[in-house]
Amino acid sequence: MTTTSSTSRGGTVARVIIGRTFLWAWLLVGLVPLLFMFITSIKPAGIANQIPPAWIFQPTLDNYASVLSAGGGKSESFGQLLTNSAIVSLGATALAIVVGVPAAYALTMRDFRARKGLSSWILSTYMFPPIVAVIPVFVFAGKLGLMDTYPALIIPYAAFNLPIVVWILRSSILQLPYEIQEAAMVDGASTGNVLRRIIWPLLVPSVATAAVLTIVLSWNEFLFALSLTRSGAKTAPVGLQQFTGMYGTDWGNITAAATLIVAPILVLMVVLRRQMVAGLTFGAVK
Amino acid sequence: MKATAAPLDATLTVDASRRADGLATAGPRGRKPLTWKKRSTPWVYMAPAMFVLLLMTVAPAIFIFYSAFRNDKILGGVGKFVGLDNFITAVTNASVQHAFLITFGFVAVAVILEMILGFALALPLAAQTRANKVGAALMLLPFAVTPAVAAMVFKQLLNPNYGWLGYYLGVFGFPKGVDLLGDPTSAWIVLVILDMWQWTPFIALILMAGLQSLPGEPREAAMVDGATPWQMFRHITFPAMVPFIAIAAVLRTIQAFKTFDSFKILTGGGPGESTEIINLGIFRVGLQSFNVGLACALGVVFLIILSLLIPFMLRIIGRRADPEEM
Repeated sequence: MTTTSSTSRGGTVARVIIGRTFLWAWLLVGLVPLLFMFITSIKPAGIANQIPPAWIFQPTLDNYASVLSAGGGKSESFGQLLTNSAIVSLGATALAIVVGVPAAYALTMRDFRARKGLSSWILSTYMFPPIVAVIPVFVFAGKLGLMDTYPALIIPYAAFNLPIVVWILRSSILQLPYEIQEAAMVDGASTGNVLRRIIWPLLVPSVATAAVLTIVLSWNEFLFALSLTRSGAKTAPVGLQQFTGMYGTDWGNITAAATLIVAPILVLMVVLRRQMVAGLTFGAVK
Repeated sequence: MKATAAPLDATLTVDASRRADGLATAGPRGRKPLTWKKRSTPWVYMAPAMFVLLLMTVAPAIFIFYSAFRNDKILGGVGKFVGLDNFITAVTNASVQHAFLITFGFVAVAVILEMILGFALALPLAAQTRANKVGAALMLLPFAVTPAVAAMVFKQLLNPNYGWLGYYLGVFGFPKGVDLLGDPTSAWIVLVILDMWQWTPFIALILMAGLQSLPGEPREAAMVDGATPWQMFRHITFPAMVPFIAIAAVLRTIQAFKTFDSFKILTGGGPGESTEIINLGIFRVGLQSFNVGLACALGVVFLIILSLLIPFMLRIIGRRADPEEM
């Protein structure tokens, strides 16, 4: 609306055309890496890194089959790494939601005087650089025997996503009419009952948004996974890097593995586009 | 609602006193004080989240502040107190200075370019047409790609022997077989381009949402008064967009300071140490050379620098995201 309404003026037509050309040029060029990844992944063996690049070939799923079967004589198949990624992401999400929902509720209680300060503190932990946490966590995980286990990733991932989770949920609770809570309390409901029976059912869509965001960000994480896992809990993005050694840089395999990592995330993000952007800005942009 | 008699009584007392005084929160003198139970409830609800957050932010911060004054090695047993040695090394070492400098350089260049391009993309994207719905979905694709995967794919595209980029540039007469990651300057440009490819869409989508939320009346009034498009942009659209620009800039700056994956995978800090930003430096010193003391000293310095962003985070993001403030 904002742009089209100005087309009535002669000179602006050119401006609009330039703007749109730039937009679509950006979008198309931006797709090239993804196109390369997908096309290479369905090329038959032997032509994946052929130069000049082959554009006409018989598409095949061989690369996917070879990646998912335990290959290269190594201990874990890429399927196992994807499973690890899924366990860690879902575990971190479950933890973040379980501790995040009550916290968000507490931060909306009118009798709770520390709520402002605590909300700000939680928001400011988003600034905390993971590289500063990784060395202490590495040392402690080693001492506690948690190295290369799921909890060594689940707890940090939950922590780093908590600012987003708590802020999304807190703002959703604040947007519910307070009268509903009040009416329930007058009727004698405890705070726990208010949370379980009144707020939780209304909060489910926001919890879903927060959960998907946490899944995506945990799935994509690299630094902690690289530092704290060796084989048992190794995640897919870390495993991808070792394809070069394991399979002697088989371009077909590596792009198939890359596609397997990216595909589920891509679907979630595109479907929930608006919620994702709103969530990543802590609800500052709707 | 089922509730046992005792807590019911307690809540009723508090609620009665609150109702008598309207909706104001408890506090002023002369009011019945909150019961201990009522007062501790929110803390009980907060406790698990606070525990997780303290464990992963405050505890590591205490650890690095402590270890920064010692010379512990992860593998070499217990070290001893060495005073400010690590900090002196951190401040005087030329490669550390270089790492901090190029980190700031990278953040500044990437964020500024992404903001400008993001705005340029948001303007045409904000018109709510059917094509733009597709456009917004396409826009998000690079942003949705796992950063480690994106870096890997870029590395293959740039492969001097088999990469698409080299081949198609060669078709247009550029020299063949150039290793763009082998030269400090071109490696830098590649890293910035990768960052722009991933993150400009995020900014464009924030600013698009901002543009779509602006009211139409001021623009229409200005148009009736004969304002030129530039005047309308300069005096109406841009000022109204400032809060959104601030949000995108603050978030993007914080994220850019955390950049690790693309540098680690694409260049590993090389060639030489030319692209070793501080995140890579701390990783190498701490987890590859196992010099925990020095890595922690670097971490302390980095943490202090990043803490300077907290006020912006609270004012720009926090206040705007907070329904209580609006």
